[in-house]
Amino acid sequence: MTGDRNRGESSITVGPRWLWPIGWALLLLIGVLGIPALEPVFRWLEPDARQVIYARADFASLLARHVFVVGVAAVVTISVGVLAGIAVTRQWGRDFLPLAGQLASLGQTFPPVAVLALAVPVLGFGTLPIIVALMLYGLLPIVRNTLAGLQDVDASLKQAAFAMGMTPWQVLTRVELPLATPVILAGIRTSVTINIATAAIGATVGASNLGDPIIAGIVNGNMAYVLQGALLIALLALTVDSLFDALQQQLRTRLSAS
Amino acid sequence: MIELSHVSKHFGEDTAVDDISLHVAKGKFCALVGSSGCGKSTTLRMINRLIEHSSGDIIIDGQAIGHYDPVKLRRRIGYAIQSTGLFPHWTVAHNIGLVPRLLKWPAADVKARVEELMRLLGLPTEEFAHKYPHQLSGGQAQRVGVARALAADPDILLMDEPFGALDPITREKLQDELAKLQARLHKTVVFVTHDMDEALKLADHLVVMREGRIVQQGSPLALLQTPADPFVESLLGGLERGLKQAALTRVKDHMSSLGQTLPAQSRIPGEFSLRQALSMMLRDHCDRLTVVDQHDMPIGELSLRKVVKEAQLDKVSHRDG
Repeated sequence: MTGDRNRGESSITVGPRWLWPIGWALLLLIGVLGIPALEPVFRWLEPDARQVIYARADFASLLARHVFVVGVAAVVTISVGVLAGIAVTRQWGRDFLPLAGQLASLGQTFPPVAVLALAVPVLGFGTLPIIVALMLYGLLPIVRNTLAGLQDVDASLKQAAFAMGMTPWQVLTRVELPLATPVILAGIRTSVTINIATAAIGATVGASNLGDPIIAGIVNGNMAYVLQGALLIALLALTVDSLFDALQQQLRTRLSAS
Repeated sequence: MIELSHVSKHFGEDTAVDDISLHVAKGKFCALVGSSGCGKSTTLRMINRLIEHSSGDIIIDGQAIGHYDPVKLRRRIGYAIQSTGLFPHWTVAHNIGLVPRLLKWPAADVKARVEELMRLLGLPTEEFAHKYPHQLSGGQAQRVGVARALAADPDILLMDEPFGALDPITREKLQDELAKLQARLHKTVVFVTHDMDEALKLADHLVVMREGRIVQQGSPLALLQTPADPFVESLLGGLERGLKQAALTRVKDHMSSLGQTLPAQSRIPGEFSLRQALSMMLRDHCDRLTVVDQHDMPIGELSLRKVVKEAQLDKVSHRDG
């Protein structure tokens, strides 16, 4: 079966599309490990500061916590968002379709800072409030794209699937979801990329992550700190975004139909 | 065998199908014809329970369809629609093998069956098995659709305007192939179309529908000879009716035995239609043709006068018998 062989090859060999995420990830790694070595540069930027390299925690663990917060929020939003999108496009859930759309929009119109302010009294300081804020904020793109992706699947195609004798579960998993995946993936990409940047505000409520140097820099008037945090967040966002881009391209060549 | 008796379908206030009864014998080709919205597609979809009928009985092989599990019922009924029904994210081979896979055939059997069907429909395996639907022409995609419908060797085949999106030349070619296929496979076919010529060409049993009702049904020749009302007559082509009837009649059935001398220079194979014979007479300015067999040996003669006379006398007779 040549088709199977081709599929095997494409997943093993690293095509040019994967070079971007790899490149950004390398830069991120260099940034995390190499910022302390750039002390002269930052010293030139902030000659009067007592310290120019953020040192309350090392960048590797800040990055790890940043990724953790965004990752947890992403896993929850993707599960909830995609499942909700599936549920309200089923025959039995169709009544809730407008409601799901409105709830998700509401989540995004609510500024994450306001969510933080409201969440801290209930959940306390730390990582939990920022995860909740990111979940609410990241839900809309995923729900919206899941709905769009599933609703875009040609009705006659679904009917053909049923007519061939597929069960509703088979129609969903073998026809609807595979065809909707590129659109759903685009929603996840938007949601996660936005949340990588938004997660920085978690530093204001004691969730230590790459937002820490930025907040500390603003509070102390130390531009070097701000720059270090911003640089790493940008590199992380670019890495993840280009990773999704490569994934989408991979999918597109796999099903370049329609 | 498929039997519908007094079947109706209501969508809320609207009646899509109104008290229709029809019988498709095993191995016969039944065409439902009518303009869009006449209920022909709804009728088709009620047979495999894509749409549940509101009243009446639909019986397949002696059992009311309500007794069958809809998923199992559909897996034993082939279904083909316009080329949009192919799954764009699957290869040709994967599309064709769908129902056998749903029926959990062993992989080797599925593969062998897919290859057999691709051969049957003139799609070379090496060239097409790994193509995706968007890489196919309309005609090729439709062949794949027909192959997929035949995959699990169902006794019953439902076809919903399968050739509707094709250009006239490809459509005609596929119609010819379907007719040949049917002559070999003897499936029980229900075929929906708005193209009367397509129906006349393919069907053993023709059902004309309008506004959810059956206006007339019978063999194509019977309908051509005695259309029930002006609507059916206009569908059948009005003045062209005579020629359409001639297209369904073989030269062989109207020839008389050879005399001493050959009646004419112009020769026509006995398998050709009367319509082609008439055309040849017009072209060659003659009223007699020599009928030949497949080896070009004269076997009889066809005379215009006799054909015209017999066409008047011809009583309702079946196309094949």
